[in-house]
Amino acid sequence: MNRWLVLSLAILCIIIIAVIVFSENSNQSPNTPNISDSPDRIVSMAPNLTEILFALGLEEKIVGVTTYSDYPPAAAEKPKMGTFWQPNIEAVVAAEPDMVITLTFQQQKNLAKRLKRINCDVLTVGIEKVSELFSAIESIGTATKTKIKADALVLDIKNKINDFSAKLPAGDKIRVLWVIQKEPLRVAGTDTFVNELITLAGGRNAIGNTIHQYPPIGTEELYSCAPDVIIEPAEEEQPLHIQQENALKYWSKFKNVPAVKKERIYVIDPGPVSRLGPRMPDAVRSIAECLRPELFKKND
Amino acid sequence: MSIIEINNLSFAYEKSTVLSDLSFKVRQGSFLAIAGPNGAGKSTLLNLLCAVLKLDSGLINIDKQPIESYSTEALAKKIAVVRQEFVPVFGFNVIEMVLMARTPYYGRMGFQTKTDTQIVKNALKATDTEEFASRQLSQISGGERQRVFIARALAQDTPILLLDEPTSFLDLRHQVRVYDLLKKMQLEKGKTIVAITHDINLAAQYCDEVLLLSQDTDYHTGPAADVLSPENLEKVFSVKGFYGLVGKENFFLPLGKFAKDSSEKTS
Amino acid sequence: MTKELLTPKKLGTRIVSTLLVLMLTMFLCSMIGTEDVSLNAVFAEQTADKINIDYEIFVHIRLPRIILAAAIGAALACSGVILQALLRNPLADPYILGISSGAGLGAVIAILAGLSWDLWWGSPIAVFAFAGALATVWLVWGIGTLTGRSHITGLLLAGVVVNAFFSAVIMFLTSIARSKQIQMTIFWLMGNLNMAAMENYNVIWITIGTVVAGVIVLFYIGPQLNLLSLGTEDARTMGVNIARIQLIAFAVAALITAVAVSLSGLIGFVGLIVPHGVRLVFGPDHRQLIPISAITGAIFLVIADTLARIVVAPAQLPVGVITALVGGPFFLFLLVKYTRKVSWTGK
Repeated sequence: MNRWLVLSLAILCIIIIAVIVFSENSNQSPNTPNISDSPDRIVSMAPNLTEILFALGLEEKIVGVTTYSDYPPAAAEKPKMGTFWQPNIEAVVAAEPDMVITLTFQQQKNLAKRLKRINCDVLTVGIEKVSELFSAIESIGTATKTKIKADALVLDIKNKINDFSAKLPAGDKIRVLWVIQKEPLRVAGTDTFVNELITLAGGRNAIGNTIHQYPPIGTEELYSCAPDVIIEPAEEEQPLHIQQENALKYWSKFKNVPAVKKERIYVIDPGPVSRLGPRMPDAVRSIAECLRPELFKKND
Repeated sequence: MSIIEINNLSFAYEKSTVLSDLSFKVRQGSFLAIAGPNGAGKSTLLNLLCAVLKLDSGLINIDKQPIESYSTEALAKKIAVVRQEFVPVFGFNVIEMVLMARTPYYGRMGFQTKTDTQIVKNALKATDTEEFASRQLSQISGGERQRVFIARALAQDTPILLLDEPTSFLDLRHQVRVYDLLKKMQLEKGKTIVAITHDINLAAQYCDEVLLLSQDTDYHTGPAADVLSPENLEKVFSVKGFYGLVGKENFFLPLGKFAKDSSEKTS
Repeated sequence: MTKELLTPKKLGTRIVSTLLVLMLTMFLCSMIGTEDVSLNAVFAEQTADKINIDYEIFVHIRLPRIILAAAIGAALACSGVILQALLRNPLADPYILGISSGAGLGAVIAILAGLSWDLWWGSPIAVFAFAGALATVWLVWGIGTLTGRSHITGLLLAGVVVNAFFSAVIMFLTSIARSKQIQMTIFWLMGNLNMAAMENYNVIWITIGTVVAGVIVLFYIGPQLNLLSLGTEDARTMGVNIARIQLIAFAVAALITAVAVSLSGLIGFVGLIVPHGVRLVFGPDHRQLIPISAITGAIFLVIADTLARIVVAPAQLPVGVITALVGGPFFLFLLVKYTRKVSWTGK
């Protein structure tokens, strides 16, 4: 019995020694040529990051995007690198990027180490809130040497929002329920970027603070929160007007909800509102068009 | 020389005492039968003797050393056990099953040597089980399986053999063959045989000594002629029947109320 | 009749041949991927100022992933053999005694805590999952032994209860998590080698070393495991120190499973069906079952992971999906073909 343990321990020791020896070697990159000052080959690992890069005029330098990077349309033409959740590392490396831009995730440090071997830097930003969007754009601007454009973009977005707020009437905010799923009923809570958009558009979330980010709610809560407007982001497949009809039909059974009584159910284009990016002003606008159609005509 | 020595052994399951203050010796190279009604503690005693159960109080010495001082591997080279029940297994065939008894003797890599395979072959031959050596255990009859387990105990090559009703599923021919085999092991190889049996007549013919347990913690030990007397049998088994002599040994046929010759009861 | 018995020579030949199949499989699978990599390019001269991308992809991305798949497959399959032997239950898999929910709980806690560190012993999820797995196993073993020594039913029940309870906790935590964290949890629970291959090389080496050492230790107790399958009473009277063998077998199996699961998440099917497949073809002798199941498990997972990488390219499937879809029908085929050779019960 003891012999076996000794044998396996010996093997384990050999392996551990190999580990130490190997790790000394693997930390050295093959060679270190000078990295050019501004990155020439950029890979974007999330759809909103792709939008930011395009907005900063970096279209030519993008060599890879994720599968869901569909805006602007030119982005869909770029080589695909998998999804944010399941990135195809081989494809990323094969694209020979010198900069990869990604959102924060658990194993980012490991990915960064691997990419360092091919002299590629990794920039990680978090974009969960509107304020984070601005600082993310600035970081990306700095990293890609497009600081001037980045500051301009941020300013542009802020101005548009401010112009907007100026047009909003003072007084009670309109109660909005943002429905992301109907069966079971799930809505956006107060701890989401959608909530910020709603506030900027002159509304307030009908749901109060919840422990869930996207709480499932029951009919009781639906009635008690009494939304004036119900907004649903559309799903990809069917045309918008058909979805609008179906939505009206679905909600008609909740007769005493104020939004249903006044038939203020809106299905909107999901593009700008599904991700926090440079199209944020458009997102806010599309929400405002639902809340105050009399103020914000579609052609404004 | 007593190869098994039991002093003041007591054992109880939960609240019911099965054995109390039991003392007896088993001479090396003798053939002991353990008899008694159901629940008297025969299987319990067997399990205590092979260290599957731990005794509550008292002493068991195997080959002059306390049973607790043996490691399981060392004890396996002293005592081999043949049980009644068969636990379903994943699919070994007969010869593999018998070979498993040689595990305590395997080399460092865990494989058998030529000696091991020869011992196994001899054991199969002795128990008349060679012909289905390659068959699955589930494909042979209950009686054939019992003989396979006896072969396995023989292959374990121990000085002591404990058997729990070794002939319970066997036909007459094989009952006799098994007892002949056990007796041969005793006489030719000097093995010590301890067998629990319900067949007191065969026990009388083959065993040197008998341990008769009863349902209270009383017991009798001694040669078969003394222990398997009419008085003891009636007291312990609460049964009457016909007593006779076969040569020098007792013979007893239990007769119930509706037996054909119930009038022939001698006690 | 002794021709059928297992000998060192027979076993050695079988092990070497399956190892060769493993090597071949690993080589072939390393040639497959979404990017075209040519071997010539990989071994071309490393010039001073150009990085060899084929080399980078082949040696630093594909190879670690394939080697890790082999190690994890081996660990899961071998562990499945052990658990089936210890619990004497053909439906046992490596996760049955709490490892799955323990590792899952560890992983979810790491995800919710949003930890990110750069230690040589692994990413936060891996470390927490490993700790969670071992802690749960220890808990289940403790509860099981409370019900009596060598009490298999107690162990099984403790495992079921702990699994159920921790799964409920995982469900609750997932329901209140932020949407990004939910996604991460789901992908981890499905079993995934994508991010595992990104771990530090130290971690990969330790994994391989632990699995190899574990399989060797388990191989050495093969004869005792054979005896254990006869029931604890018979095993004891034939020389097995039941408590010691159970502890060693369980501890080593739990260790290699925890190591595997902490990297890859919960890959199912491998630990359940590879042992049965190997048993159907080669028989129930553990001296053979243990090494050959390990190697077969490695082959199986390497192939499954390769399929996961290319089937819906450029997207990647979680490898757990492939193991289930491929493993089920294959096992059915084996069962039908070989079922006459082997019987499950004694009667």
